[in-house]
Amino acid sequence: MKKTLIFAIVAILVSVISFMSCKKEDKNDVATPSLDRAPMLVNYADNYVIPAYKAMVADLKSLETAANTFTTTPDNTTLTALRSAFEKAYTTWQKVDVVGFGPAEDVSLRMYMNTYPVTVTKVNSNITNGGYDLEQFGNKDAQGFPTIDYLLNGNTNTIDLFTTDAQATARKQYLQAVINKMLQNTEGVSNTWASYRGTFTSATGTDVNGSISKLVNAYVLYYERYVRAGKVGLPVGAMTGVAKPELTEAYYTPSLTNTLLQQAMTATIAFYEGKSFDGTSSGAGMKSYLQAIGTKDANGIAMADVITTKLKQAETRLKTLNTPMKDAVQSRRTEVLALYDEMQQCVPLLKVDMVSAFGISITYTDNDGD
Amino acid sequence: MNHPSLRILSKAYIGKPVYSASLAVFRVVFGMMIFISTIRFWAKGWIDELYIQPQYFFHYYGFEWVQPMGQYTYALFALCGISALLFAAGLWYRLSAVLLFISFTYIELMDKTNYLNHYYFVSLVLFLMIWLPAHVNFSVDALRKPSLQNRFIPRWTIGSIRLMMGILYVFAGLAKLNSDWLVEAMPLRLWLPAQNDTPLIGSLFNHVWVAYLFSWFAVLYDLTIPFFLLNRRTRPYAYLTVVVFHVLTAILFPIGMFPYVMIVSALVFFDSADADRLLMKLKTWIASLPVALSDNVYSYKPVWYKSITMLFASFFALQLLLPWRYLLYDSELFWTEEGYRFSWRVMLMEKMGYAQFVVKDGVTGEKIAVNNNEFLTKNQEKMMATQSDFILQYAQILKAHYLKQGMQTPEVYATIYVGLNGRQSRLYADTSLNLANEKDGFKQKTWLMPFNDTIYGL
Repeated sequence: MKKTLIFAIVAILVSVISFMSCKKEDKNDVATPSLDRAPMLVNYADNYVIPAYKAMVADLKSLETAANTFTTTPDNTTLTALRSAFEKAYTTWQKVDVVGFGPAEDVSLRMYMNTYPVTVTKVNSNITNGGYDLEQFGNKDAQGFPTIDYLLNGNTNTIDLFTTDAQATARKQYLQAVINKMLQNTEGVSNTWASYRGTFTSATGTDVNGSISKLVNAYVLYYERYVRAGKVGLPVGAMTGVAKPELTEAYYTPSLTNTLLQQAMTATIAFYEGKSFDGTSSGAGMKSYLQAIGTKDANGIAMADVITTKLKQAETRLKTLNTPMKDAVQSRRTEVLALYDEMQQCVPLLKVDMVSAFGISITYTDNDGD
Repeated sequence: MNHPSLRILSKAYIGKPVYSASLAVFRVVFGMMIFISTIRFWAKGWIDELYIQPQYFFHYYGFEWVQPMGQYTYALFALCGISALLFAAGLWYRLSAVLLFISFTYIELMDKTNYLNHYYFVSLVLFLMIWLPAHVNFSVDALRKPSLQNRFIPRWTIGSIRLMMGILYVFAGLAKLNSDWLVEAMPLRLWLPAQNDTPLIGSLFNHVWVAYLFSWFAVLYDLTIPFFLLNRRTRPYAYLTVVVFHVLTAILFPIGMFPYVMIVSALVFFDSADADRLLMKLKTWIASLPVALSDNVYSYKPVWYKSITMLFASFFALQLLLPWRYLLYDSELFWTEEGYRFSWRVMLMEKMGYAQFVVKDGVTGEKIAVNNNEFLTKNQEKMMATQSDFILQYAQILKAHYLKQGMQTPEVYATIYVGLNGRQSRLYADTSLNLANEKDGFKQKTWLMPFNDTIYGL
């Protein structure tokens, strides 16, 4: 029969070609366990996400304690301790923020924790008038780390504001309310993860409901909008050509800004590489999965490595920038723009090359395709 | 047909008469399928999401006048659904066929973001059906007007639907004859591992040879299936293959109704006598069914016959030429997509883009970074980022918006990166060019960056 004959020819052709391709490709291209998404999801959940929220909760508790000590006896010693607890928590947040999906997304954690710039008039009117509701979305720019930053470092006479000032008591209450809200929100997310973990690790599909799609979408969004644009692009005015130093993160603690950015960049790389939250071990992650899929650049270098190289280039350049971002956007503008450019080059690599290789999509619209 | 009394009649027509039951059964299943698709589309909330929510729509060249109609878009879909039902029932057939063709096609023309080859296929088949005697058997029309009943129709009528199917498959197969598909097993090599959690067969997709097997089988399938379906002896196996193949694609890929459209449409390849036997069987159960028993052959009025023959001849000539129009462009088809649509290039490439627009005030030099989501839906943004005609239309949308905002001469610049079939993403368009000045049209777009790679083959 004609059909049998054709089938035989195809079978031969296919086996020859697959044989040739097996010989030609390196070992990453044949089936390896890293194409399994389940272990990757388990690694992310158990070794990064859950410890991340635990660490955040612990740091916020320390911050709460330090704030209580400070409000009871406001002096230079307690203020220094409080500032240091604040800086530690804010730095930890940079590693937590990369996890934008799931319970954190459901409660808009990022918006409540770190919307900047802080709207100072709103903070002051809340303090003066009382009766504020920090749950209100409209108050998102009058709470979180940027508000604490303002309260602790926004004025030269901080101690006075918490002792002799007419609003001292209200200000103390506001500081405590803000920290309390942050702690509540983070504990909520942390607790929800206990039950969400099962949902997350079992959704191994690549459709919009699959965990990898949610994780990667949140990750790319985080890097593109909140690291690249939020921390560098907008303050330097990369698109508009006009620097806006007031848009820098930790505006009132210029010495902290670059540390936060460095931490965010390091977290971006660590999360891509499937590192554990404490950075001591490494497991299946986006990088190993991409390695297993095996896409390469024009020179035959694995895209998985190209991405690491590019991200690390940006990280290295960032380390050379020792002027606080707030000043650097004007005084060392060329360097900041060059840094932005390095960071920008990573966006298509993540948003197009990685996402495309994963067979997922940067869309939340569940529609047919062809 | 070996019915002796028909021999003389047959000479008056091109080809021999066949049982009209074949076309009638096709009418019923095709109409019902469009009806179900419409219900599905509605139930998923896509009318609102795709045609009411978006602020802007991407129009086909020359069809800028086709606009969604706000809440009345629902009425349009209702019209489409109702005419599909009437079409299936064979009630006021010509009218319902015309209305169905117009409403369905109008829907597809509203936003090319939602272009799908199988929608195009449905539109084309509906256009053909307008002119075919699909209502002369097993229809309400035939019940109301028994003189309409004809047990036979000219063979070319059902043949034209088969030809349309054949064109679809063969061109879909030809489109796969390229080095990415055959030598690199792209894009299946990326798509299959993404489905490795499919029950039972999932773990197979981790192997590269499976991507090759699927790629090569798909080519063979597309190029040969119409012929195996035409052949009486191979037909049952071929149809089984159609079902298995399309069900598999339905499981693996988010391609909606397409597999079912093909499974249903391939029924036209069955012997018209089978359809006739089916209707006769139904008639023995329900005697009142309007099943044609007489040996009449449907005949067109000569003037109509002549016009329809001409129309069909030009239609198919166009169908045979359109997929080759890409040859007129001196560029890589997959990269520029000039001449890509309306050519049965189905699930052929993995292409993704990232586009960042900046609008510059030509007078003050002030620049504004555009957030695409303020103008486009996620789907529109995704389509826009990889297709040159979308990019130009979007530039016009931005220009018009900022003119309205009071900017005197808005200039539109874009940084666009596109990745194709696993290649590293690269710059897609000239970043220094004011896109608001570029005209859309069929001329080759010179502002696209070169692909700098070669995909061999068709």
